Amino acid sequence: MQHRVVITGMGWVTPLGRTLEDVWRGLLAGESGVAPTTLFDARSFPTTFAAEVKNYSFPPELAAGGRHKSAARATLFALDAARQAWQQAGMNHGTQINPYDVGVYLGGGEGPLDFENFTRTALAAWDYDSRSLNMPEWGRRALANFQPLREIEQEPSMPIAHLSMEFNARGPAMNCLTACAASTQALGEAMEIIRQGDAKVMISGGAHSMIHPFGVTGFNRLTALSTFNDDPRRACRPFDATRGGFVIGEGAGILILESLEHALARNARVLAEIVGYGSSADAYRVTDQHPEGRGAVVAINAALRDAGLTPADIDYINAHGTGTKENDSTETLAIKKAFGDRARQVPISSIKSMMGHLIAAAGAVEAITCVLALRDQILPPTANYSAPDPECDLDYVPNAARRAAVNVAMSNSFGFGGQNDTIILRRFMVDQAESAN
Amino acid sequence: MRRVVVTGLGAVSPHGLTTSDFWNGLLDGKSSTGPLTQFNSESFPSRVAGGVPGYKVTDYVPKSYRKATKIMARDIELAVLAADGALRDAKIATRGILEASGGKKPDETWYVPDPARVGCNIGAGLICADLTELAAAIAEAKSPDGNLDMRRWGRSDDPSRTSGMENLTPLWLLKYLPNMLACHVSIIHDTQGPSNTITCGQASAGLALGEACRTIARGQADIALVGGCESIIHPVGLMRWALLNRLATKSNDSPAQACRPLDMQADGTVVAEGGGVLVIEELQSAKARGAEIYCEISGSGESSTAGEICQAQPTGEALSVAMEKALAKAAISPADIDVVIPSAYGVAAYDQADAAAINRVFKGHKPVVAAARGGLGDCGAGSQAIDLVAAALTVDSQAIFPTVNNQHPIAGLRVSHSRVDQADIRHVMVMSTSLAGQNSVVILRRFTGAD
Repeated sequence: MQHRVVITGMGWVTPLGRTLEDVWRGLLAGESGVAPTTLFDARSFPTTFAAEVKNYSFPPELAAGGRHKSAARATLFALDAARQAWQQAGMNHGTQINPYDVGVYLGGGEGPLDFENFTRTALAAWDYDSRSLNMPEWGRRALANFQPLREIEQEPSMPIAHLSMEFNARGPAMNCLTACAASTQALGEAMEIIRQGDAKVMISGGAHSMIHPFGVTGFNRLTALSTFNDDPRRACRPFDATRGGFVIGEGAGILILESLEHALARNARVLAEIVGYGSSADAYRVTDQHPEGRGAVVAINAALRDAGLTPADIDYINAHGTGTKENDSTETLAIKKAFGDRARQVPISSIKSMMGHLIAAAGAVEAITCVLALRDQILPPTANYSAPDPECDLDYVPNAARRAAVNVAMSNSFGFGGQNDTIILRRFMVDQAESAN
Repeated sequence: MRRVVVTGLGAVSPHGLTTSDFWNGLLDGKSSTGPLTQFNSESFPSRVAGGVPGYKVTDYVPKSYRKATKIMARDIELAVLAADGALRDAKIATRGILEASGGKKPDETWYVPDPARVGCNIGAGLICADLTELAAAIAEAKSPDGNLDMRRWGRSDDPSRTSGMENLTPLWLLKYLPNMLACHVSIIHDTQGPSNTITCGQASAGLALGEACRTIARGQADIALVGGCESIIHPVGLMRWALLNRLATKSNDSPAQACRPLDMQADGTVVAEGGGVLVIEELQSAKARGAEIYCEISGSGESSTAGEICQAQPTGEALSVAMEKALAKAAISPADIDVVIPSAYGVAAYDQADAAAINRVFKGHKPVVAAARGGLGDCGAGSQAIDLVAAALTVDSQAIFPTVNNQHPIAGLRVSHSRVDQADIRHVMVMSTSLAGQNSVVILRRFTGAD
């Protein structure tokens, strides 16, 4: 027997704000979360802007007790988003559940290096004559300077450890880090855990912040980031002929997944059903996507098959749409291959045009966006679209939100290294509950 | 229900580069931890390591892919070696293996898989950047007052000098992404099925194996490469574990005895490197191709300690629940388990938690407890992969390996102290707890072919 899996709570912390409805309004209005970088001095970098979570303060209710004192920025985002989701799901109102039936599965990124200590220690131990590190000196200074918890909080499993602690979630606890595909993959695998009966509730999604000197350095060296420093708000232009790279963002998106029986038994409000998941590897190159979108097509088709649906059933595609030359044309090609004639009819949009690219957390905020589109029957736009690209010739919902009948939405995520993940979400009608198994 | 079996093993460990080096080392009770020589460690309190012997990674990749070895961190190289070993052991002729043998199968008994039906789920750790490369770049942007000058990091104001970041190779970031283990392996061997990278420290490999079993069970793949690899032998890795007080500091003069799993006098673990990859396969497809089967995967269980960060749970409760979940999935009782392989790092609080969990679950029944860390040390995300390979060999060869450096066993445990051959082993349980509190338990069952 396979359990049906529904979504009963959602929360996020994003460059456009941190309440569900405010961010959604911002997305529908085509607002931008991109601005000059403030988290560090980026003035000499090829890219001087980012989509930061602005003026962030950690909710006092979560800070009380000091249990998350040492947590990295992305972990704070995850806790904040999860608390919103947990409350929306009504899990805090005396729900009796065995903590071992509640799991956590995130696509969470690593925490940043302790930049100040790292650079200071490296410089103090650097021997300019031999161009090498004096290791005994480095070791002595490192052991004196670095803080144990600050170091361990860089582990990518730390967001899930903090969520487990905060919500007393003692079931399966997993984190995957498949680059930009991570949180879509986490949602798909969390669904599988519930489907196969290994947990009843999963706190799932993603959290990441790479807006720190070495993170931006890594992407700038790859020349993957937009360098449109003159007009940051217009820097991310998915599917547009003038697109020139992605905009780095940060944040978290958390969804409460639950078996349908469990949700119904506790009279929870069901926001949507998660019905399909497909995953694949390009097995092509470390640096490039497969030029024909081979892996992406496999993931899309696998998700459709898993959901028992066909392209004709899909009313909206939330694209990976990073705004890089390569991704957007490859993704367009993959959609055409998987959808055939339907590709020209189905609306596609990329919220990265407004939100930036939340890396490991991107898929989670995009899944939440899909659920809101299903709820309100309206599609968020692809902002900053002005110049059509012959290689990107589908309907990208340019610049203005659009009313539409949306019953089923698909979300794609692709990551460096050739990871491809697709999930499918369906509007949940009360009468569908009758077929709950 | 689709059943899943193990058909190939690849271990890369301080005992050697091959699975037989590893298994012989375990059976012989050998210790391969020694003085840390990879870098000058004199200012660290622990100067012991379990290093993998020398190799040339280009020997393990097809010619057309050799250039890519330049952007492989050591963790990635170890995964490439382990995957090559596992696939050759399973006699699966992937793209990489075909190319290495001149475009044809090594012999007729080999199987050429459908790439779309092969998945890859390899656990990884937080890969540390090369310290010298990064320090050299930072030094280039030093300010007159001795700090890093951020204005010179991104752009150089002096045409005769490079900026700091320009000293990093353009693909710098890609050397250290955890998913690059699975990524390079998937490219070399053309595995196009579901691929994932679980980053849950010492529980990664078991979690990856459990997930790949779900993938195969729901029909998304027939074969998967699963496991994990990591190298902690890095100044940053050594510094982190030293700051957490998890390292043995009293045995720098007797490094082979430094790591003492399940020993009352254990004073910490040893930084190590290595890991393993297992080829797992849907039973019918394994049978159809005439694969040799090591064992069946009969169940897995997961849980989270949900406690304070980096604190072992003295009661062993959460770990015991994962063990019970795995038993329930395998539809067996504790008395059906003959051998338990715990993570047992030689870190007293964690080993006590392992012991507490074993006592909670097994009560009167006392399975043999055999721990592998003693002669190897702890290689993070590679550790449970090593234990899974050891477990598959234990149940297949019906032999129990001794627990190295266990002179004063924790009371109540039946710790293995010498090699036992021709044991009657039906099930082996592998259990692991990560530093961050994730627990993973896997049960392997003897495969007789009768069923």
